[in-house]
Parts: sequence; C-alpha cells; structure tokens
Amino acid sequence: MNASILEGAMPVSDAAPAALAQAALAQAALAQAARRARRSLVLMVACVLLIGWAVPWFANAYWIKTLTSSLALSVAAAGVALLYGQLGLVSLCQYALLGAGGWVALRAGHGLGWPFELSVLAGGLLSCVVGMLAGLPALRLKGLYLALVTMMMAGGFQVVVNVTGFPDGGAGWLGRVFGSERLMMPRPALALSDAAYFRYVAVWLAAVLALIELHRRTRAGRSWALIRRGEAAAVAAGVNILSYQTWAFGLAGFCAGVAGALLAGGVGQLDGRAFTAGESVMLFALTVVGGVYHWAGALIAGLLLRAVPALLTDFGVNGYLAMIFFGVALLHALITAPSGIAGQLMGVVDAVRQRFAAPKDKDAAP
Amino acid sequence: MEDYLPFVISGLGLGAVYALSGVGLVVLYRSSGVLNFAFGAIGALGAYVAWTLLEADWPQGLAWCAAVLAAMALSLAYGRLLAPRLSHRDPTIRSIATLGFALVVVGFTEWTWGEQPRRLVLPTDGGALEFVLGEVEVRLTHTRALGLALAVLMMGGVGLLLSKTRVGLKMRALANDRDLSALLGIRVLGVDTVAWILSGAFAGVCGLLLANIVRLQATLLTFLVIPAFAAAIIGRLHSLPATVAGGIAIGVLEALAITVPGFAAFRTATPFLIALAMIVLYRAGTRSA
Amino acid sequence: MQSKRRIALSAVAGALGLAGFSGAWAQAGPDCGLNTGKPATGEPIPIGAVVGKTGPDDFSASGQAAAAYFKCVNANGGIHGRPVDYLVLDDQWNPETAAQVASKLVKDRKVVALVGSTSFVECGANAKMYADEGVMVIAGTGVPRECFNARNYVPVNAGPRVSATIAAMYAAQKYKAKKMVCIIPNIPSLGNWACEGPKEWGKKNGVTVETLTIDPGSADATSTMLQAAAKKPDTIIMNVPKGILVPMLAAAEQQNLGKKIHFVSAAPAYNVDVPKAIGPYWKGNFDVNLEFNPLESAGPDNKNWLAVMDKHGAKSDPRDTFSQAGYLAARLATQAMLKMDPKKIARASVTDALRKVSDFRSDILCKPFYVGSGNRHNANNSGPMASPDGNGWRFAPGGCLTADDPELVDIRADEQKMGLK
Repeated sequence: MNASILEGAMPVSDAAPAALAQAALAQAALAQAARRARRSLVLMVACVLLIGWAVPWFANAYWIKTLTSSLALSVAAAGVALLYGQLGLVSLCQYALLGAGGWVALRAGHGLGWPFELSVLAGGLLSCVVGMLAGLPALRLKGLYLALVTMMMAGGFQVVVNVTGFPDGGAGWLGRVFGSERLMMPRPALALSDAAYFRYVAVWLAAVLALIELHRRTRAGRSWALIRRGEAAAVAAGVNILSYQTWAFGLAGFCAGVAGALLAGGVGQLDGRAFTAGESVMLFALTVVGGVYHWAGALIAGLLLRAVPALLTDFGVNGYLAMIFFGVALLHALITAPSGIAGQLMGVVDAVRQRFAAPKDKDAAP
Repeated sequence: MEDYLPFVISGLGLGAVYALSGVGLVVLYRSSGVLNFAFGAIGALGAYVAWTLLEADWPQGLAWCAAVLAAMALSLAYGRLLAPRLSHRDPTIRSIATLGFALVVVGFTEWTWGEQPRRLVLPTDGGALEFVLGEVEVRLTHTRALGLALAVLMMGGVGLLLSKTRVGLKMRALANDRDLSALLGIRVLGVDTVAWILSGAFAGVCGLLLANIVRLQATLLTFLVIPAFAAAIIGRLHSLPATVAGGIAIGVLEALAITVPGFAAFRTATPFLIALAMIVLYRAGTRSA
Repeated sequence: MQSKRRIALSAVAGALGLAGFSGAWAQAGPDCGLNTGKPATGEPIPIGAVVGKTGPDDFSASGQAAAAYFKCVNANGGIHGRPVDYLVLDDQWNPETAAQVASKLVKDRKVVALVGSTSFVECGANAKMYADEGVMVIAGTGVPRECFNARNYVPVNAGPRVSATIAAMYAAQKYKAKKMVCIIPNIPSLGNWACEGPKEWGKKNGVTVETLTIDPGSADATSTMLQAAAKKPDTIIMNVPKGILVPMLAAAEQQNLGKKIHFVSAAPAYNVDVPKAIGPYWKGNFDVNLEFNPLESAGPDNKNWLAVMDKHGAKSDPRDTFSQAGYLAARLATQAMLKMDPKKIARASVTDALRKVSDFRSDILCKPFYVGSGNRHNANNSGPMASPDGNGWRFAPGGCLTADDPELVDIRADEQKMGLK
C-alpha cells in the first residue's frame, strides 16, 4: 500500500490495471478502517454512558461518591494519557492544573453564581491556558527534564494553594468565608442527588473521551504521531510543531480543569492540603499503569486512584499497609505491562476475537 | 544587615539539606540513569533504625553504621532485583518505578514505627559556631556545619570517582547506553551493584543528617526529595559543584524570603521558583535526559 | 521449723486472701452503663465515628477509647438491653475520603449519632451534611474552626484557640509577659483563627500578641524561631501539633532562645513522649495548657477510664488525651441514651436527647459539660497547666484556669440561658 495517510484518498492515475486494483483495495481498506474507528468511538461513548446509567442501581452511597471521584479523575487521566501516549511527553503537574480548574469553578460557582456547566468550562479554559504555558518549555526540553520542570510547577502550586486555600462561599479575590459555615459548591439543577451527579459526570467523561478520540483520528492525531517520530520528520511533512504540541498541552490542561471542577462539585469543597506535588506524580504513575494507549486506561487509572484505596479502607486495611500494597502494585504493573492494564485487557479481547473471527474472514485483508 | 544575618546562617543549615540530597540524586543519576524518588525514603528508614538503636543504648558509631548499612541494603535490593527489569524502558518510567519503591519503604516505616514525636540527637548538636552582630546572636550547630562540609566532600569525592577511576568510567558508560556498554564487555551487574550501594550509602548518611536537621518523620523526609530535585536541576543533572552551590543558594534564599513582607507565607516555594527561573534563563538548546 | 512453716502458711493464706479480695474487686469491673454484668442481646444501635489515622498524626485513640467503652456497655446490659454497634472509619486526613466515609456511616449504615470522632479535616467537609441529615456528632477532639462553629458538632475538648488563650493568660500572670508571639500552622481555618484568641484577650488586658503562621511541611524550623525571636517577645506561644513542636523547640534550643524568652504551648504538646523528646533544656521553661485533667489524676472517672481501657481496650491503644476525650464522648452519649425509651431510639430522638444534655460531670473535665441547642458548641473552655519534668510532667498549682476569650461571649450567653453557672 503506497497511499500517504496525510493525503487521504489515492489520486487516480492511468497506471496499469494491477495498480488500479491495488488502489481500489487500499481505498476499501481505508474506508473500512474509518468505519471501524467510528464504530469504536460510538462503542466507547456507549460503554461510558452505560456505566453511568447502571452503577447507581448497584452501588451504595459510599461507592457512588467514590466512583464519582473516580470518573472525575479519569477525565484528568485521559489528558495525561494523551500527552504521554501520543507525544511521549511526561507532565507531572496535571494534578496542580486540576486544582487550578477546581479553584476557578468554585469561585465562579460561589461568587458569580454561574450555572454549573459554565463553571466547569471556565475551569477547563483556565487550565487549558495554563497548560499551554506550562508546555512552552516542552519545546526545548524532553523526557526526564520536562518531567522535573513540570514537577517544580506542581511544587509551586502546592505551596500557593496551601496558603490561599479554595473558595468556599466568601467574598474577595480568594473567596474564603470567615465568620460562618463553609459552603458546598452548588450542583447542576438536574444532578442534585449523588446518583444523578454520578450520571452527569459520566456524560462529561464520555464527552471528553470523544473529544480526545476525534483529535486522535483527525489531522491533529496524525501530526502528533509525526512529532513523536521525530522533529525532523514532522518539519519535513509540514507540521507546525509549536501549535500542535502546545495544543496537546492545552487539551490535557482542559481535561485536568474539567476534572477539577467535577471533583469540586462531587465533594462540595476542595482542600489545599490535598494538592501536593506527589499527587501529580501518582496521577501520572497510575495513568501509565492503567494504560496510555487506550481509553479504557483512563477509566482504570481513575479506579486505581480512588476506588482501590476506598476498597482497602472498606476492608479495614491499615492505611500504611495499603500504601505498601500500592507501591508493590505500581512496581509490578510497570515491570510486567508496558502498555498498562488496559493494554493487557485489550490483548485478551483481541485474542478472543481472533479465535472466534478466524474461520470467517480468513480472506480479508489485514 | 542585622536583620538578614540570622536568616543567612539558618539558611546555610537548610542549604546543606538541599545540597546533600541534590548530590545524592545526581550521583545516582549519573551512575545509573535513574532519578531515585526513594532516596529520601531509604535515608529515613536508616534514621529510624539509628534512633531505635540509640534508644536501646547502643554506642553512637554502631548505630550510625547500622543505619547506613540498612540504607545500602535497601538500595542494593532495589538496584539488583527490580531496576534491571526496567532497564529497557525510558528513563522517566524507570524513575517512576522508584516512586513505587518509595511508597513501599515509607509505608513500612510508618507502619512499623508509628506516629510518635521523636528526635534524632547527634553528638555534634552540642557545640555550635556563634555569630554575633550587634544585638543579634545566631548559632550554627556543628551538625549543620558538618552537613555543609559533607556536601562539599561528597561532591569532590564522587566527582573524582566518576571522572578519574575505571569504575566511575564504567558507571558513566552504563548510564549512557546500557546495551552498548554490555557489548563492550563492561560487567553490567557488577557496576550496577557498585552504583546502587554507593547511592545507598549516601542516602543513609543524608538520612541521618536530615533527620537531625529537619525532623524525624518518614513522609516528610521522603517528599523532601522534591525540593532537592530543584538543586539537581540547577546542576543540570550533571554538575556536582553546581548542585551543591545551587542547593546552598536555595536554602539561603528560602530563609531570607522571610524578610520579604508579602512573600514570607510562600517562602517554601523558593526552590521551585529558582529552578524554573534557571530553566527559563539558561536554555541551552534541546536538552535531552 | 514450726514457726517457719507457720509463717509460710500464713503468707500463702494471706496471698490467697488478697487474691480472693482482688478477684472480687476485679469482678466489680469498670463502671459502664447499667452495670448489670450481663451482655446485651437486643436490636443493635448503630453508632459511628470518623478519625484521622493515616497521615501527619494519628488521632485514632479517641475512636479506640469509645469502642472500649461501648464494649463495656454491651457487656453490662447495653442501652436497656440493646447493644451498641460501633464502627470507626479512617478518613486518612483527606477531606474527600472524609466525605465518603461519613456518607457510608450516615447514609448507608444509618447511624443514630457519631461519637468519638477526631479528625482535622472532617468538620469542614461534613458539617453541612450532618446538619442536613439531622445527626449529632459528639466528637472526641476537634481542631479547626469548623468543629467549634457547627450546630451538630460537639467537641468534648477545648480547642486550640481556647487552649492558647489560657496559655497566654498563664504567661501574663506568671511571667508578667507584655509581648507575645503566637506560632500556628497556616492551614486555612486554623491559622487565621486559633491565635486570635490570645490576641483579642491581649487587646483587653494590655498584652500585645502577634501571630506567626508557618508552613507545616517546611523543612526549616530555625528560620521560623529566629523570625519569632526577632520580634523580641517575652513569651512565645506554640500552637502547633506535637510532631512540629519537637523540631521547633529543638531549633530554639540550638539558638539558645530559652534563655531570654519563655515558651508556652496549647494542648497538643501534652503527651507522654514529649518531655523526653524535647530534652532537659526545657525543664522549668515550658508550660503547657491541658484540655482535660492530667492523665494520671486520681479522680474516680479518670481511673474508670483507665480500667475500661485495660479491660476492654487493646494493650497497644494509647492512653492519651485523645483517649480521655473518646471515653468522655462515649459516656456522655450512653448516659443520654439511657434516659430514653429503648424502643424509641432513632436518629431524631437521639439528636433531641443529646441536645438536652446539660449537666454532664466528670473529674476528667474541669467543669460540667453540656450540649444545648445553640448554633455552636464549646462547652469545655478551661484547663490546668503543666510543665515537663525529666521524663514526665509536673502540674502547676492553681488547678483549672478558664479562658477569657472574647469570642466565647455567645457561649457564655447560651450558658446563662440554660441556667448554668
């Protein structure tokens, strides 16, 4: 197949019939791939929405709250996976961006009285912009150095947010209340109960995942793949590295900001002490463990970040023993599963599918 | 001037902390290509071991040796059993894996020793260098002065090791390209062992000093690596003298930041701000690590 | 030979007699609930607690003490035949986790009350939910401002603001201090609240108090102590947790600040490990306010607490001030529930009964405790002073001092309305 994927359809020329047949085959394969891609996108959205609809039937109040936080963090993990899976860039400040988005959403919700969706988008927008600024050093730094620099940013945010705290209903720039009770973030009108809010968050997660998938399957995704291959290749193909790389950081920041706003809505308040630099590192680590090459990895990462500790708490496991367990699990996953748990699961799914599909389309083109 | 002297002196103590940790981190990075998140955790465990032995009335020297040995053993265990399995992955993943190890060590330490106010007292705490300027009196305990001296000594010693000895050369080669070094006939496992034992020894010594200068508390000592990374960044993950100078500078500036009225509440962000400023101001082409 | 055998026999008889006597004494056991000695077998009453165990400090002792007391109550007839089903959950010092576990207790397990909670983060995270669900919390120990400013949250302890005020009052009285510096972590509802007590008291009594906020995660205690000393105070009030207190006092010792400045502290410093950790430099120069009467006091309720812990608690449970607080909370709740009809014990009726508590006495507390229907609760606002003495504590003469914090004016008004002292 000698079709250039950047050009799309194959130009028809007056070549030999064999070449024409080859071209037609290539076009058919491309169309089939596009259909499959659309199908998998629909499947992904359907899966997430199904989870959102089904879980509140089975889960008690404790688990609904936990899984709501889980889904919110899956949104952030999707952003981290985008940066690392598509571009190979390590950002260790995504949890800080989550905090920044949550801060803006809380301030907008309490102080300006904006509708919830607008607060979420405002949080996402701020984190998008800050993410793009954080990504500017990425043009010069790579690998471990970028990781360290983003970790420094996360450390700086940790100190600032410890001093300023999060808005909780007061006035002024910081929005902190002094004489009276701390307020909870007002939830959207159609998602006031915990169960309804869980479904609401699932809808947001599906939307964000779809947004990322659409990016991946269009020009942006192809540009990112070229940038990952090497700057020379990308420049030669005419890709504007600055804009696409910065846009990736912006998108990841947007994911983190939305996640922060959703988390704030779920818990009601955010606390400055929960936004240490270590949290950003754990977010990255568990996203890698979940799997950065598939959307299910983001879901698994969210579960690892919130549901697994909650499970251990439910069983009464001592918090420090749980920490040891987590460390061991992290090491094990990193050593044995380079594409994460999602990668292993998809491998199993593919193997099963091949076993059942093998007799039928033996003649189909790969 | 009187207002600033106390903070310059106390900043030197803090700077020693950052310089020591920074050197330990850069040493391991240059000799194995891994940024060790578990550096603080391993040192903390060593310090707790020393505290327990001192409470049981062991002699000082033996307690310290036990602490350093414990740290070396832990470091070696990771370096020989776990690190080789990740040697084909990219450096960031290998560094994140040390985070997993750090969680295991911190969890174990906190679970075993629990939360009880403790203090690791070293014999050098008794004496101090006194600085008097007018009415202002500041003291730099011998422990902190020792910390500064050790940072410089380690810098010199390890610098010599890496640049002038065969073992150092092999370590640098291994960190640079593991597969190629193996092809050239360098005994990979042997050199790895040396590198991790060395790092463990540093972690043990740093742990003892940090537990004395800062606080004997495992989680805090573990996450003290994050400001220490700032010192490592100033040294560009390569130059030990720059790391030491950077660490001391960060410490002094963080302490001096108390005197700045609006900034005092944010002074713990000083290491991060300085590291970021260094990155922005001293861009040197594409830095690949 | 004859006399030796007689001596031996009488010794054995004496020992047996003593054993029998102490056996009878042991059978009397600690005093809990109805004291019937028979286990309760009715329908369990669910009660919960949220404690901060995994994190910067371990507050779980209050949950453990309350659990021991409830076990004792269950072994002694329960609440008119109904045992207490007590569950303690760890919020890991994370407000998100605190909201989740509180949801589990209140919404899933449908507890009738929470007793013995001690957490740094759960007051802020959960106070509104408790108010919305109409469930009362008789907490062991509260720390930040939200714990002392909620309608449904009743801490048994005095709180860092009241405790620091008493310490300041003591320093002014004993050392004639006129200028003080109050050191406190910069955590939002603590850093801007707990040192205001000494400050406002000082304004009315001719003493200037300056606040110094610190970052609890900072590695540099020396600069903080130098900063405090640069303000040239007579007294430094430490209002920090004991984990941070020890390195700060170590830094102060290394700078020899104890020579010219008196150091006092709020209640977190009162702990059996602190005197040994801070060392002999501070003997006679460090005064700590206690929220309850001393751990080794000889009062009957204090001894009962120790007896309950020995009989029904684990050996590894700390017997510290958190434990005292948990015991008191459990005893208060039990006493209130025993006054109710056992068939009508439900969340709403328990909440009413708890609000009616107005004269709970214990020799662990300086004054009688009450709940009342006010908008906030801070009934415990007095305590004695102590000072480290070698490996233990020496108690100041003068007993309990009551805080003269101007913010307590609404509490005093509530007390007047309830017709108390």
